[in-house]
Amino acid sequence: MSTTWLPCGDYHQSYREDHAWFQTRFIKGKMILLGLVLFIFIPLMGETYSLSVCNQIGYTVLGALGVQLLIGFCGQVTLGHAAFIAVGAYTSTLLILEFPWPQFILDIGLAYPISIFIAAVTAGLWSVLFGLPSARVKGFYLILTTMAAQFITVEFIITQYVSQIGGRGQAFSLPPGTIKIGPWVIDSDLKVYYMMIVLTSLCIIGLANLLRSRAGRAWVAIRDNDISAEVMGINVIKYKLLAFFVAGFIGGVAGAFWISNLAAISPEHFQWFWSLWLVGVILIGGVGSIHGAVFGSIFMVVVMELLQLAVIPLADEYPKLLMDFLFVKEAAFGLAICVFMIFEPYGLAYRWWQVKNYFNLWPFSYR
Amino acid sequence: MDLKKKWFKFVAVIFIPALIFGISASALAAEVKVGALNDVTGATSDVGKDYALGIADAIRYVNDNGGINGKPIKLYQFDYGYRIPEALTKYKLFKRLGCVAVLGWGTGDTEALSPTVTQDKMPYVSASYSAHLTNPAKTPYNLFAATDYSTNARATITAWYDTRWKKNPEFGKRKPKFVCSYHFAYPYCSAPIKAIKDQAELLGFEVGPDQNVSLVAIDTKSQVLAMKDYGADLVWHGNTTMSVSATVRDAFALGLKAEHIVNCWGFDENLVKLAGKAAEGVFGAPRCAFFGENVKNMDKVVEYAKKYNPGVPLENRTTHTVAAWANTLALWEAMKRADKAGDLTGEGILKKGFETIRDFDIGLGVQPLNYTSTDHRTAGKVSIYEIKNGKFQVVELVDLKSRWPEKWGKEWLGW
Repeated sequence: MSTTWLPCGDYHQSYREDHAWFQTRFIKGKMILLGLVLFIFIPLMGETYSLSVCNQIGYTVLGALGVQLLIGFCGQVTLGHAAFIAVGAYTSTLLILEFPWPQFILDIGLAYPISIFIAAVTAGLWSVLFGLPSARVKGFYLILTTMAAQFITVEFIITQYVSQIGGRGQAFSLPPGTIKIGPWVIDSDLKVYYMMIVLTSLCIIGLANLLRSRAGRAWVAIRDNDISAEVMGINVIKYKLLAFFVAGFIGGVAGAFWISNLAAISPEHFQWFWSLWLVGVILIGGVGSIHGAVFGSIFMVVVMELLQLAVIPLADEYPKLLMDFLFVKEAAFGLAICVFMIFEPYGLAYRWWQVKNYFNLWPFSYR
Repeated sequence: MDLKKKWFKFVAVIFIPALIFGISASALAAEVKVGALNDVTGATSDVGKDYALGIADAIRYVNDNGGINGKPIKLYQFDYGYRIPEALTKYKLFKRLGCVAVLGWGTGDTEALSPTVTQDKMPYVSASYSAHLTNPAKTPYNLFAATDYSTNARATITAWYDTRWKKNPEFGKRKPKFVCSYHFAYPYCSAPIKAIKDQAELLGFEVGPDQNVSLVAIDTKSQVLAMKDYGADLVWHGNTTMSVSATVRDAFALGLKAEHIVNCWGFDENLVKLAGKAAEGVFGAPRCAFFGENVKNMDKVVEYAKKYNPGVPLENRTTHTVAAWANTLALWEAMKRADKAGDLTGEGILKKGFETIRDFDIGLGVQPLNYTSTDHRTAGKVSIYEIKNGKFQVVELVDLKSRWPEKWGKEWLGW
């Protein structure tokens, strides 16, 4: 068998071969190159601004992965994912600011890493709670129950109660230097970037592996036809709830990670619009693909940043543009979804797949 | 295909030059960059719109008058919709653009950003007059050109006690009953709560249960009925004008006997228009003059309002425009001083600018400004106004610093 290209036809002789991550040396080389770019090239070359844009992309990817799992792989449409990200963010913040950690944990900088894990589990369980209605309802009705998660969690519990912990407030201030991992104080965009790239890689690898497992196949079966899935012996409720747990878990990681990039955390970080935004991200990136979550995030964040860069000089002539930028941004989001739904309904991931196929067959592709 | 090409060309012609200019914008020198965060669409936009207009007008005035010793100010003014995350994002943008100072807005975002602006040494002149931002030991880079919410609240309740309660037949027979009405979840509203209750107890009031009234409330009857049940003599309102006017109107309609005192962002020309008769007798500390009032420098405020915003009739402009001018003029003075000292950096603007200002009169009905390295409260005197026949009239000038010198000096700083 070629070590560079896969031959035509399927020559795999075992599941291990069939499911191997790196099926050829070329693919392995590509992934090593990607690793070098992400872990060495970008941090070395990027200045503060571009790193902060990367961090925003990473946060969007982490948020969108959970939405992708629920909508793209399990067919459970959600419009309340920001609530689970909020649970993760607030759990981690409260653990860092309010929990009486033993001194040695603080000394060795373990409080934040432990808080990320606890935040992820808490967000996962919270997500399961709001996933329970999926046992009885689906489609449009499920969308409404997930929206309830948003309003109950963020607008009511977090705004009225959780954010009041520790006295007057609404915003928990997180002064630079509050967050520490081991000996490293996370106080710069570069350190946040490293944390982001590690967490995002772990979540993507974890989710990709899950999707190759029994659970992943069950989710896809439920998405394609839940009645058929049940007939095949899949415990539909169990796997739906598992999907909610995993989506909430990744959302919790997203929230706990994002606090390292903020000077403060407030309920306004997790408004309903953010849940909608994440759905937009996977629609643009491509539903039912991990690549889709990544491409959609890159597209949305980069386009918004470019738009901002373009608006600043135009503001000399049209000063109202800066004041109205908030709406320019939201209008651009709406327009992007419309354009993609009409011209690229399978999203950027499909275009990527086409490009890859073209080069795989090049120069002898059929036209 | 042709259409596609044309479309591509159109996008390229519009965006590529804009992007190139955008990326190179920071390279343009000889101007001093200042960021401004305003709320013209969010929960406090009822007062934020006028403040935003005031900031833009005042910067034009500064530039027409020589800028910072010859260097014009380049203002980056954004609406952030009273959303803290948007404020944090825009603050990062200001840093990237090379802004030397920020004219901020809300209490939530200002207090949340405070540790960061301290680390970045970025003077942050906010429209949040929270007393929590006045202690330089904790928040050295937070400043504003007005008396803080807590000082205003203490002064207003004191003025009501002096001028109203002492004349009440019940005076000396029982304690006056006092209630606070505000949106609990918003840091702006709750900023002076501890101070006003402390002052109420100092003056011998009985403090009743707080009433949670939304910043965007249009119906507050249940809260007003709770105040009525308690038998309140005085209500302090901590929200902005729209919400305060709704509460004052409901109180009037439901026959609540209590009188009202209002924080500065709820005490403006629109309160009279919205609450009508119900606003009669309301007390407040507007922290500067009302729009068009006969005070020093008001002519410039009116002139620039006419010149640059002819679409907004002068009778619709409010005291919040004046407050925006006050903050901008104070920052201008500090920047000029820092520049003269050859240090127009964040630290220079604070140490060689603001903290050298003593008894500086910017007019506009603002008490002369003072900033020291140990105290960023600008003044201890507060002018208290009352609405009489639909007009604002000065009731009393309360001098907290002279009346309680010990407490002013040692106890009340920073809350």
